[in-house]
Amino acid sequence: MMLRGTLWMLLRSQWLLLLAITLYGWAFSATPDRALEALKVAGNSFSSVLLLIVAVMGLVGVIQVWISRDLISRLLGRQGGFRAFFIAAACGTVLIGPAYIIFPLLMSIRAQGARWGVIVTVLAAYAVKIPMIPLEVQYLGWGFSLTRSLLTILFAIPIGLAVEAIMERPTADGGH
Amino acid sequence: MTNVGLTYLLLIVIAYGVLFGISPGRCRQSLAVAGQSLGRLLPLLVAVFALIGLFQVYLPPEVIERRLGAASGWSALLSGGLLGAVAIGPPVAAFPLAGSLLAAGAWPPAIAAFIVSWVSVGVFSLPVEAEVFGLRFALARNGIAFLAALLIGLLVGVVA
Repeated sequence: MMLRGTLWMLLRSQWLLLLAITLYGWAFSATPDRALEALKVAGNSFSSVLLLIVAVMGLVGVIQVWISRDLISRLLGRQGGFRAFFIAAACGTVLIGPAYIIFPLLMSIRAQGARWGVIVTVLAAYAVKIPMIPLEVQYLGWGFSLTRSLLTILFAIPIGLAVEAIMERPTADGGH
Repeated sequence: MTNVGLTYLLLIVIAYGVLFGISPGRCRQSLAVAGQSLGRLLPLLVAVFALIGLFQVYLPPEVIERRLGAASGWSALLSGGLLGAVAIGPPVAAFPLAGSLLAAGAWPPAIAAFIVSWVSVGVFSLPVEAEVFGLRFALARNGIAFLAALLIGLLVGVVA
């Protein structure tokens, strides 16, 4: 019984890792060369962001312990009003790095009192990359790039409000 | 990316040094929080990167190119959004791909949907997002971001 419980826990918490291992097992038995290549790509991309991941987790620790709840909820919570959303949209456009690194960072800000809408607005505006606009223009031209960026910024705040409405709608199980 | 990571890590280490001078106790508390979140996310991130490797080798850009190259209309728009949602990689990689597609005569709204969806919808990072924010948030945010990507794509076609 105990063993079964432990296995179930492992399956639930690490299902993605188990899925990846299974897929690799299958890939290695079908096409070993390409599977090895995939493993190399995975290793290279992981090692290139590993330091960044460690650094961001360090930042998460600093935010959770040192930044006052009052400050965050005043700027980015309900009290922040609409200004909170403009701050969020502006932050989103200058943030770079993969999204899965930004998630824990945003969650630490959420835990300190930021509202859901602000978190989502950052992630939506994140599809605009101000540091990379020159690159986008080079490949896609001014008209296309600017239109896409402007529309993405315009949509960021409505997307934030919409997801916030879904998150705050009471559910039958009482979960938020 | 490694240099950027190193720079950030150095800044964080300096910050921890300064904070340790202010209050060793709270600094240790920060370290504990950092260690916990790292320990919780690391297995997931290893899995995500393992899947990225498989994806890049078994679904190379040529496949995306074939799917998005010729068609237009609703199915192209939807393909653009969906391919963007499963595509992984930095936007730096999305732009050249999108550029070559546009140059080859692909439908601009589908390409715009592809880019926006590439950055803001993540099927592979969904488990990480659900672990951090909860499943409900992850589903709601990705769903709405996907619809927005299609809409932005259409509007880009009208304006540009």
